[in-house]
Formats: sequence, C-alpha cells, structure tokens
Amino acid sequence: MAFWIELLISGVVAGLIIGLSALSITLVFGIARFPNAATGDTMTVGAYGALLGHRATNSLLVGGLTGAAAGALVGFLGYWFIFRKLAQRSNVALLVASIGLAFVLRAILGVSFGHSQQVFQLPLVRPWRIGGVPVHPNDLVLAAACAMILAIVFAILHLTPVGRRMRAVADDPALARVSGISPSGVMTVLWLLAGAVSASAGIVAGIKTVVSPEMGWDLLLPAFAAAIVGGIGSPVGAVAAGLLIGVVQELATPFVGFTYKIALSFLMMLVVLLVRPRGLFGKLEGAR
Amino acid sequence: MKLSLNDISVRFGGFKAVDGVSLAIEPGTLVGIIGPNGAGKSTLFSMVTGFLQNGEGTVLLGDADISREAPFDRARHGMVRTFQVPREFAHLTVRENLMAAAPGQSGENLIDLFFRPGRVRAEEEAIRREAEETIDFLKLRAVADTSAGRLSGGQKKLLELGRALMTKPKLILLDEPFAGVNPVLIEALSGHIRALNRRGIGFVIIEHDLSALSRLVSMLHVMDQGRLLASGTPAEVLARKDVREAYLGGAA
Amino acid sequence: MEAYLIAILIVTAIYVLLSLGLTLQYGLTGLINFGHVGFFCIGAYAAAILSTAGGMPIGVGLLAGMVLAGLAAIPIGLVALRLRDDYFAIVTLGFSETVRLVVTSEGWLTKGVQGIPGIPKLIDGVGTGPALTILALVGLANLLAVMAFLRIVKSPFGRMIEAIRDNEDAVKALGKDPARFKIQVLVLGAVLAGLSGGFYAHYIGYVSPDQFLPIVTFYVWMAIIMGGVGRISGALVGTLLLMGFLEGSRFLRDLLPFISAVEMASIRIGVVGLALILFTLYRPQGLMGDYTRRK
Repeated sequence: MAFWIELLISGVVAGLIIGLSALSITLVFGIARFPNAATGDTMTVGAYGALLGHRATNSLLVGGLTGAAAGALVGFLGYWFIFRKLAQRSNVALLVASIGLAFVLRAILGVSFGHSQQVFQLPLVRPWRIGGVPVHPNDLVLAAACAMILAIVFAILHLTPVGRRMRAVADDPALARVSGISPSGVMTVLWLLAGAVSASAGIVAGIKTVVSPEMGWDLLLPAFAAAIVGGIGSPVGAVAAGLLIGVVQELATPFVGFTYKIALSFLMMLVVLLVRPRGLFGKLEGAR
Repeated sequence: MKLSLNDISVRFGGFKAVDGVSLAIEPGTLVGIIGPNGAGKSTLFSMVTGFLQNGEGTVLLGDADISREAPFDRARHGMVRTFQVPREFAHLTVRENLMAAAPGQSGENLIDLFFRPGRVRAEEEAIRREAEETIDFLKLRAVADTSAGRLSGGQKKLLELGRALMTKPKLILLDEPFAGVNPVLIEALSGHIRALNRRGIGFVIIEHDLSALSRLVSMLHVMDQGRLLASGTPAEVLARKDVREAYLGGAA
Repeated sequence: MEAYLIAILIVTAIYVLLSLGLTLQYGLTGLINFGHVGFFCIGAYAAAILSTAGGMPIGVGLLAGMVLAGLAAIPIGLVALRLRDDYFAIVTLGFSETVRLVVTSEGWLTKGVQGIPGIPKLIDGVGTGPALTILALVGLANLLAVMAFLRIVKSPFGRMIEAIRDNEDAVKALGKDPARFKIQVLVLGAVLAGLSGGFYAHYIGYVSPDQFLPIVTFYVWMAIIMGGVGRISGALVGTLLLMGFLEGSRFLRDLLPFISAVEMASIRIGVVGLALILFTLYRPQGLMGDYTRRK
C-alpha cells in the first residue's frame, strides 16, 4: 500500500509539472490560437535560469525567480520578434516557427551549458514517515510552490483587469478588438505569463530530477496531451488533465515499464480526440 | 427533388441561431430566403448542407432523410451549395477548378490512374469539354487559364456557380451570390440562374439585395431572429408590415 | 575524392525520397506531418532486422519496410485526419516518438538502445564499382519515384489533393470526401519514407534509436521549405541545400577542431531552427516560388 501511495505522490508532482506546462500551452492557444511547441524548451530555459540563480546565491527562492524571469523574457522575445509578425498568418506558420524557436533555444542552451546532466545542489533531507509512507519534504515544498503559482495565475486571470481582457480576447479576438481592447497589451502579458509558467514547470522538473538541454522537449508531448485532454483553452482543464496524466503514468509504471509510460499520455490524448475532441472541460467550438 | 426542412434548430451555447424553422421547397423552383443580418439564414444553410453538426430537426431530400449525413454525402444526392465568401481553389486555374468539381472521376483513383490510363484520358477529355462549355456559359473565357486566387470578387462568384454546375445538381443553394457584385454582373448572374432554372435546376438563394432577388424568385421566405417570419410570393411578402419592420426598420 | 562524391550523392538520393514524400503530403495536400521520421525508422528497422537476424535477401527487407511503413500510416490517417491541422501535427509527432519508444523498448526484436550492427550493403564489395552500382540503384528508385510523382501531380488525383489543400470545405460541398484522398497521400509518403529508411540502413550498416529523433523530420521540413513547397523542383533543390548544410557543418568541424561533436549537433539544431523561423517569416514559399505551377 505504501508503495502505491509513494507512486501517487510522485504522480502528483509529475502531474503538477505537466499541468503547469499544459497551462502555458492552453493560455497561448486560447489567446494566440496556436499550439506553442517552444513551451518545452522554455521550460528548459527556466531550469537553467534557476540553476544559475541558485548557484549564485544558494537560495532556491532566488533561483526560482531568476528562472521564471528567464522564461518570461524568452516568452516575450519570442512574441516580439517572431509570433507578433506572424499574427495574420495561418496557425501552421506559427506552429512551424515555434518549432524553430524551440530548436534555437535548445541549441543555445546546449552550447552554453554542455550536454551533461546537472543537478540542483540541495541539502540531503531524509524523508519523513507519515503513516508508514515515505514522504519527501522536497515534494511537499514543490507541490506547495506549484499550487501557489497556479493560484497566482488564476488570480491574474480572474481578478485583474488585464486578466479579464485576456479572457475576452480568448473568447473572441475580433470582438475584443472592436470593443477597444488593444490586443497587444494583452499579448505582452500573455507571453510573459506563459513563459514564466512554463519556466516554473521546468524548474520543478529540474529540482525533482535533473537539468539537461533536452528535458523540456521530452516533456512537450505529455504537456500537449494534457492540454488537449483537459480541453484546449481551458486553464482548469489543463491542470486537471496534467494531474490525471501524471498520476496515471506513475501508477502504471509497474505494469508498462519505464519507457512506455510516456506513450500513455499519447494514448490518452488519442482516446480523447476520438471520443470527445473538445476534451474534459473544453468549450464547444462554434461554426467555422 | 423536394427539399423538406422540419423543425430545424441550431444552438450556440445558450443562443438559438435558428429556432424551429420548417420549410418545403418544391423541385425545380426558384426560392429566396431573406432577413436582416443575424437572422440565421447562413446558419440554416450550413445546417441543411451538413457543415454544422450541432443542430436539431430533420432534413429530407425527396424521401431520403439526410439529417445525419456528412456534407459530401448530401452533395452527392444532388444538392450543392456555394459559399458567401467564395472558396475558390486559389492555386488551380479556373478550368482546373471546374474540372475538379466533376463527379465520378476514375482519375481520382490511384489504381485507375496507373493501370487504366486510357479510361482516365477519355474521361478527362469529356470533363474538359464540359468545363469549356461552362466557361463559355458563364463568360469566363478570358480568365480560363488564370489562377483562381487572382480573380476579381465577381469572377470568383461566377466560378462558385460554375463549380456547382459541374456536379450536375438538381438543387443549388446560393449563399449571397450578389454580395459585393456590381449591378451589371448581378443582371448577368440572374440571367444565368433563370436559364439554369428553365433547364430544371432548383435554386434556394439567400440574399440581401431585395430588388434583384424579388425579380428573380417565385417564392420568398423571410427569417428574423432565427424564426420563419413569413412566406409567399415576393409581392405578398414585401407588402407585409411585419416584414418591412423587421427587415427595413419601418422604411419601405 | 570520387568515393566521397558518390557517398554524398547516395545520401542525397536517400533524402530526396524523404523530401518527395513530405512534398506530396504537405506541399500538395497540406498535411502537417511532423512524424515523417517514424516511417523512415520503420523502413530502416524492417530492412535491418530482416537482413540480419531474419536472414532474408535485401529486396525482401526493403519491400517489407515499404509495406509496413505504408500500413502504419493507415491508422494514423483514420484517427487523425478528421482533426484540425495543428492537432494532426501533434499526433504525428507523437506517432514518431512512439515508434522510437517501441524500438528502444523491444530489445528482443530491435536490440534496443544498442542498435543493430552489421547490416549488409546493397551491393557487396569495396571500391568505386560497387559504390556506383549502389548509387545507380538508389538513383533508379529516385527516378521511378519522380516519375510516379509527376504522373500524380498532373492527374485528377493531383488536382483533387491540391483542391483539398486550398479549400477543404469547398471539396466537401462538391460531394467528395477529403479523408479518402488524404489517407492515400499519407500512405504514399510513408511508403517513400520506408524505402528511404531501408536504403539508409543498408548504406550506413547500423541502426539505433537515436538516429531517428524528430530533428530528422525537421531536416526534411527545412529542405522543402527552403527549396519551395509544393513542387518537385523544390524538393530536389531543398534536398541539395540540406545536404550542403549537413556536409558543410561537418567540414566546419574539421576546420575548427575545438568544437566537439556534441556542440556541432547543437549548432546544427540551432541553424535548422533559425532557418525554419526565417523562412516562415520572410519567404514561406521557399526559393522556387509558390504553389502555382503556372505563371
């Protein structure tokens, strides 16, 4: 039993990572209307940014902030130099360009930091025992941090004027423009936010496991899967689906093996696309 | 081939774009559907032709219930639609656009393409001749070899009609054929429609241009806010006060 | 020197088959196939397994690779072709990664991460003679592929797939089912990629999972984007540019020995990314012009 609870906890942390990156994807999709394939490598940027910050100050908090800032910056630069100029083009053009950006980011990180895996030098803490189950305090801290980040994002979306504008644009960009909401202010905040959120996912992943140039891209497919399963455009859906996928993947590992667990997210995505294409929480798409 | 619409409704979220519309269109007639913007006319079209899947009600073509059929299957029954904003195949020439529309081409089958080249060639010849006839009928000879993406708006509308014709339809649903088209072309289009109607093809036309439409059709249906408001000959319908109010805001 | 040239030409011919397949799928039909390397991988491993452990003649392996790759395309088509194009792209990407996962895991068949060595060459023997024969064989395959491609492009089938690319709804409104055509195109492109994979396996002599990473799919994307989307000339020119880039980067490493192989791999990825961005921004139709085959 303890074994399963351990897996469950592991799954929740993995699920939060996937959920955060899916959140970033779904925010961008809802407002900029394309799947951002650079999300994965923005995660990696966040992880390396946090690594540098942590190495310099020995504070995980500072590391987290530098990582998030790095991600936000990358998100914004990508928008400013690339996606903004493609705003009138098809979503395919945006998708291909985002793949290009992903590759560029990975190349820069690979050349700058080398290919070996790096870890956050954190003090060794012995796991607590709660009811016979080993619980790593790190996992609790990470989960709490994720919860806080999610709270901040949802607060921005629902409690601030800019968040309201973002949701209006997501519902109908043409309408939003007509009623005087200038898209570009919304877009700037969107990309900063999306970048910071994916960076956070990367930081958590880097702390939980290792930091390497490919780590983000490897998490991209599960993130897309979660965004689609949750219903693309739905922030709640993205997080919920992320948790679902994370937990399912961990609990299934004893049965399907380590390598195939990633294929599970792909399988879940396919099933959803076949059976209920709008996902768990997605809105029905109107006439096109 | 009679088109029967029974209690058609289309909902977007909480909003009913089309609300319980029932219509019957007799074969070979020229019918118009008018109404102010947002009345639900195009939505009705999309529902009837299968481009919208979230509607209620039944659509009958002759005796066949096509309510659940995919759009391309509905078209194969002989009911073809055009689009309000023309959907030309931009990178194909006008002639190629027309030839692409012809049904039943074995050249579209890879096996036949490689193993029955003679038959494919013969069919292409026949289709090409038909396309040339259509080009002449619509007076598009000058642009026959031009990429469809380069045509003017009016020419694209003619091409839409031409493509529909190539499918040998019994019923054509035209979605705002006169929108954005100059008066001379409107007359030409009306002429083509009348000529085709004399050959036995039925038309259902959504239009905004009341004068052109009322001279063309024998029957008018008026929609407002998703519902069918009135039906009758153009003279009858346009004389009605409620129609004038809904459509023109009181002014005649 | 000539051995080197022949080698380059052989690899170019292998990539041309990949480019032709993707041109058919994306250039002509508008399918966003981000999983091309998956079919390449199936073809390569089929050829590898059948000619080594299976003890079959090379032709059988090549044929099997083509058939298996083509068959793999069918379920993808059935599942994914109803999806909007960006979802389709993601699903195909997932497909190629799943293929790589299967290849990595099923060690009993594929020898897993270690890979399969000792794959026989197409033609036995050293020196220019055999090499030229191999080139001729691959070149012949290229020629046949180009001829089939031309036949398709000029046919009603070709007209229809371009119509689907240009306006799928209009195609449906005219009574034709786009899915039928898209599946066939997907299968054809996959078959070409499978053949390409088989040639690749017999040329390199060794296959392993990390030769089939997504970057290979995007090498081919870069090739067709640079060369000009939707035309055979574009596929050919683009492949030449791609080869120039890949070989050029190798030369660069010889000139600048302080760059490690891993770093060069990173730089290559970066250049591909940059090319994708720049071409999408400034010249989406590539170097050979846009889709229209006429003025």
